[in-house]
Amino acid sequence: MIQIPLYLLLRTETQLVKAAQAGSADAFADLVHHYRDRLLRFLLTRCASYADAEDALQDTLINAYRYIRSYDPRWRFSTWLYRIAIRNAAKLRTPDVLEIHELGDVENDPLLQCIADSESENLWNSARHLLNDEVFAAMWLRYAEDMSVNDISKALDRSASWTKVNLMRGRRALDAELNGTNRKSEAYG
Amino acid sequence: MDKLANRLRKDADNIEVAVSDELDHRIAASLRSVTPQQDSESIVTSQRPALFWWASSLTGIAAAAAVIIIVNSGTSQVPAPATPATTVTATPASIAAAVPAIDWKAETAMLTGQLQQELDALQSDIKKAERKVKDDIGL
Repeated sequence: MIQIPLYLLLRTETQLVKAAQAGSADAFADLVHHYRDRLLRFLLTRCASYADAEDALQDTLINAYRYIRSYDPRWRFSTWLYRIAIRNAAKLRTPDVLEIHELGDVENDPLLQCIADSESENLWNSARHLLNDEVFAAMWLRYAEDMSVNDISKALDRSASWTKVNLMRGRRALDAELNGTNRKSEAYG
Repeated sequence: MDKLANRLRKDADNIEVAVSDELDHRIAASLRSVTPQQDSESIVTSQRPALFWWASSLTGIAAAAAVIIIVNSGTSQVPAPATPATTVTATPASIAAAVPAIDWKAETAMLTGQLQQELDALQSDIKKAERKVKDDIGL
């Protein structure tokens, strides 16, 4: 007997959310299926190791399913999911690792390891060194995940003005890096 | 879409990360063991069934009825005045006379005895110190 995947029957995210809220683990699995790799990649920017990022992803998906009934459809589902992911990543950070990018070297930074594995010049490598964690996260959500300013504000639990200002500062720092005019004084993020 | 945004998106896509099969199995197993929790609204609803509201309403009505009966039974024992009602002024003396005297069988507790002893000892020390100072300076 041919088993038809649930996502073919329930095409929209809203339908999958409703089915998951009704207790369907399959609907939830389909709902988060295309977010998993992206979430893991994002969590690499927030965790101190690859293993931590994997644990954070597992915790994120479990918590999202556990509290799926409290999901407010006024939010984008991805925003809600990333917000949970950010909280879970923060829980895994030990008090002595306040800033992931301060680890500085490729061996200790899971994102830089992945960038090094790709063997191509990558602007996120520079962003990692130029921007602090929060600004890096805002830039990542804006340009890698294509989130709006409002969604970034909600995911990072920051004001819209903070997000706008720091996106602008992040861009300016990376522009300077790209154009070779290294303006370190503004490259704090 | 500007040049920087394009570059950032392209570079992000070049970072190849995928959930491993092992992690996939771990997540699937974890999800099977989890059931979605009731949201707060439905929890409140389930914790307070209709019977709760009926019981609390009846209790409130019964309490109100009891208060009304007690108040009315207290006033019904007062004989109706044979003469037209006169205005009674409530002075402190009349109130004191109306309140029955209660014979309290209590004794004054000596709770300040130890403090008094402490005070005496301190005053004695001060006097001694004064005397010693006067002796030292030859008064």
